[in-house]
Amino acid sequence: MADESRQLMARDEQLISLALSGQTSAFGVIVERYWKMVVAMALTRIADPAEAEDVAQESFIRAYCQLHSLRDPSRFAGWLSKITLQQCSDSMRRAVRCKSALGCKATPLNELDAKPAEPANPGLTQRQIHFVREAVRRLPQKFQSLIVMRFVAGLSAVQIAEQLGKRPGAIRVRLHRAYKILRRDLAPLLEEVEL
Amino acid sequence: MTDCTKYKNLIEKYLDGLIADSELAELRVHAEACPRCREEFDRCVLMQSAVKQAFSSSTAAEQVRASLLEKLPVESSRFVGTAWLAGRRAAVAAAVVLAAGVLAGFALGRFSGPGQTAPAVTAEVPIGVGDVQGMVLVRHEGSGLWQALKADSHIYLGDAFHAAANSGCILRWADESTLELNQNSMLVLKSYNGETQFYLEHGELTAALESPHPPFFISTPHGRVEALGTEFTVTVE
Repeated sequence: MADESRQLMARDEQLISLALSGQTSAFGVIVERYWKMVVAMALTRIADPAEAEDVAQESFIRAYCQLHSLRDPSRFAGWLSKITLQQCSDSMRRAVRCKSALGCKATPLNELDAKPAEPANPGLTQRQIHFVREAVRRLPQKFQSLIVMRFVAGLSAVQIAEQLGKRPGAIRVRLHRAYKILRRDLAPLLEEVEL
Repeated sequence: MTDCTKYKNLIEKYLDGLIADSELAELRVHAEACPRCREEFDRCVLMQSAVKQAFSSSTAAEQVRASLLEKLPVESSRFVGTAWLAGRRAAVAAAVVLAAGVLAGFALGRFSGPGQTAPAVTAEVPIGVGDVQGMVLVRHEGSGLWQALKADSHIYLGDAFHAAANSGCILRWADESTLELNQNSMLVLKSYNGETQFYLEHGELTAALESPHPPFFISTPHGRVEALGTEFTVTVE
């Protein structure tokens, strides 16, 4: 029990070291820590939330399998986000390949309109959730990940820069461009939601 | 008005997750009294909250943790000692390494020396300073004085920028295109055929251009690079 609470407080590097030495519970803490970020990252590319969660799980398994190849464990979140986006691409490719077959995965984004959003967010209506997701998906791809890391994972601009191996100033510039676009595209929503 | 500029900056720091508790408290007090800042701040909070909600997972992380651990392969992530350290290699830089023999580019891109084509009076160029880190110096043409570059510095044709070690700056256009000067680099703004020319004397810069953009070049002692995409890095060793 004491081990578990220590793990919850541990840094990513420590957890990775433990996971590499065979303590899978340490990887469990990592899963818990980054689950929201990975699902959100997948949702920027995959329309169906259930499929996005499947892709998120596959991303964690892939990360676990490749953990020994991670060069800088302090940049785990950045590395994981790249694996997630790669997993999304793979999933989309599979979907294209078996388009005419049953059991296809990964609904392409252009089929998004046919899919209602799941009722998981009490603060926004389904229409509003759809509206926000669409606005984020319209952002240039290089901004989408930053917005997810900032708003969903709660990493600061400086932490994102560390994770991605970029300069903080460069990340701040990109984030501010993304905010500007989002502010413009979300304006109707911001108007209608009571401040 | 001046006060609101300060609070606008605080709102930006809030959005970046870089605001201190005391600054946030100060911002909230100000927003209570200033309807304009309050609306701006409320909208930023709402935008952040809306994105977070819209991209939240309907499955709890704790729940996933248990089921996912069962799916992990037993042997696939064996401890390999300090493999990530031993096997560490220098990251491959996404830089454009310029060939010394690009003579045509050299002829076109060569920046003119003092007194050749530079105008007698330097004009301010529509470029702002987006960010400055560490020690970045600027020298106006005709002046031997190096000054510290600041966020509110005006940029003139003929300006030379020098970023010291562990330093850098971002120059920004109105359309949000940026040019990031990295550490140990020297950049000079010159006039060439009536247009501002960027001459990277040494070091490294990264350009991120809004699309579509007009023809954009970076000149170097070895040749001239034209931007074909929206993001590229130029290194002069």
